Amino acid sequence: MRMATADRISAVVFCALGVAMLVGGYTMDRLEIRQIHPLSIPGLLPMLLGGALALCGGLLWLQADPGSEAGSERLMQGGSFSRLALTAGLACFYALVLVGWLPFFWSTALFVSCFTAVFSWPGAAGGAARLRVLAQSAVFGVISATAVTLLFEKAFLVRLP
Amino acid sequence: MSPLVDLAASLWQMLTPTMLFHVAWSMLLGIVVGALPGLTATMGVALMTTLTYSLDTTSAILVLICMYMGAIYGGSRSAILLNIPGTPASAATALDGFPLARAGKAGHAMGLATAGSTLGTLVGIVLLVLIAPPLAELALRFGSYEMFWLALFGVLISGQLTVDSPPLKGYIAGILGLMIAMIGSESLHAYVRFSPTPQMNGGISLIPAMVGVFGLAEVMTAMWQRPGTLAAIRDKSDRILPSLVELWKYRRTILRSGVIGTFIGVIPGVGEDIGAWTSYAAAKRASREKETFGHGSYEGLTAAETGNSAVVPGSLIPALTLAVPGSASAAVLIAALFIHGIRPGPMIMSEQPQFISSMGAMLILATIAMAVYGLALTRLFVQVLRVPYAYLMPVVFTLCVIGPYALSLRIFDIWVMVAFGLVGFVLRQMKYPMAPLVLGIILGTMLDTNLRRGLTLSDGDLTPFFTRPISAVFVAIIVGAILLNFGFVRRPLAGLKDRLLNRGNA
Repeated sequence: MRMATADRISAVVFCALGVAMLVGGYTMDRLEIRQIHPLSIPGLLPMLLGGALALCGGLLWLQADPGSEAGSERLMQGGSFSRLALTAGLACFYALVLVGWLPFFWSTALFVSCFTAVFSWPGAAGGAARLRVLAQSAVFGVISATAVTLLFEKAFLVRLP
Repeated sequence: MSPLVDLAASLWQMLTPTMLFHVAWSMLLGIVVGALPGLTATMGVALMTTLTYSLDTTSAILVLICMYMGAIYGGSRSAILLNIPGTPASAATALDGFPLARAGKAGHAMGLATAGSTLGTLVGIVLLVLIAPPLAELALRFGSYEMFWLALFGVLISGQLTVDSPPLKGYIAGILGLMIAMIGSESLHAYVRFSPTPQMNGGISLIPAMVGVFGLAEVMTAMWQRPGTLAAIRDKSDRILPSLVELWKYRRTILRSGVIGTFIGVIPGVGEDIGAWTSYAAAKRASREKETFGHGSYEGLTAAETGNSAVVPGSLIPALTLAVPGSASAAVLIAALFIHGIRPGPMIMSEQPQFISSMGAMLILATIAMAVYGLALTRLFVQVLRVPYAYLMPVVFTLCVIGPYALSLRIFDIWVMVAFGLVGFVLRQMKYPMAPLVLGIILGTMLDTNLRRGLTLSDGDLTPFFTRPISAVFVAIIVGAILLNFGFVRRPLAGLKDRLLNRGNA
């Protein structure tokens, strides 16, 4: 996707968010029952910020020029999408599912082992090398999980999830 | 006592074996964090904050300062050897450092970078202990009107200076940060705003948000990009220790870059990278060997490293006296100070008058450790750069997960971290800076409370916001900064500057 297209999409999102904030601030409880000063209502700054974001969204739309050098620049160049998707997937699965479901030690050992194995795998050619990668990843995962668990549980007295 | 005598007394008090031990390990860790591409100083300080809960206040702040300074300095290692800045602060270092490494002068480049960083920080420390106390005294005169403008100034200037022109994306990031700060219970009437779940009634905590945008987003960026190639080439004539004659030759560059870096640091939310680029540009303009800049100039390297290191003490000046961070790392440091019972802001000189000199003493200890490690452990840092991401990044992410959780013991904060990390990654790819967003979260409450309190005090009259002297100065700077974005203001000014310069040359 080109930067200009991405800017136009985000401009629409920001405009919508700004208008939503403006409306949210305007319709917010004015606490008349507490007889507060009318200019100290909780919705005052949200209204102003909503208006400002909607204005900036509009300016972003106008500024996004597909013909310009900056606008024609392609987004997300020079990296590997498969590595990004794997990183995001593993990280989200660990943080949102494993932690809190399994004990912290096991979730961390599993995550670190899988992450290390997945990203070390392409560099290993042949069955023996792959077995070594799996073994090294498992050992590294257990060692890392032990170190982090001991550090937080014993040194910082944190009750881990 | 004068500020410098206070500084010496604080330094003497801090020379205990425990403190020196803390300096030794945290500085080493900081340099390693900075040296590894993908781990920034802000992320290091944010993660380290979660590791200092159980330390006493002075030790905790010392550890965080060492992490901050070490990481900024450590970034020069990968900038010189890999052409990948370990932290954004070292981007200017890579311009001349990498060509020097390829020419077989990696050791000398790192030695000179160390000397520049050390001297730059020392310039900044002197300015910190001299400027911070009077600034704190001045800040005591700030009322609601001035505090409102100060908060707005912080977000706006940060948004303006952390992006390439035009600064619209910086402003948007700042506004998004301010909007996030509107979530939860507000401070004047305890009314809960925009909170769909009870877990958000207290607002979005700074640490999970920050660890998300600087931690997870950076882990994703590092894994997405391909690793660089090490250019650790050293020939026989390469020496690490720079000579005194060489340092004397660059004395003007060092002093100029130190002062520029410190003052860039004072500007809220602007950060070390801008300090390095500004110093580099100033050195290039003043140099007699302009053509060598970008092709392995020792002067350029010295300017960049002195500039980014001097930002560290500079960024602490507004952080300590106004509670407005000078850089993203200083923003995390403010949060850490609150966690450890220090209340930065105008009252600091009356509540903890020794704290600014203690901070100066901590910076001096950290600077000495940085110089020792920098000159002695060059080989070790080359080895550090060989650690595969496949092993490093999962451990970093584990700390990103458990760090925010350890502060509040809420799984919800882990979800917040993930959400900010994913959104932060997308925004960064679209060239939105993250420092204004974080600054917005920090300054949102200050902006909101002081706007409404000011309006209540003046009974709805807007005049005091513009007519009180300090407010008027802030308004003038803010309006000027916004107007400078428009061609119809910039073009006549550029013309005027050219005419003046031509007249001066004639």
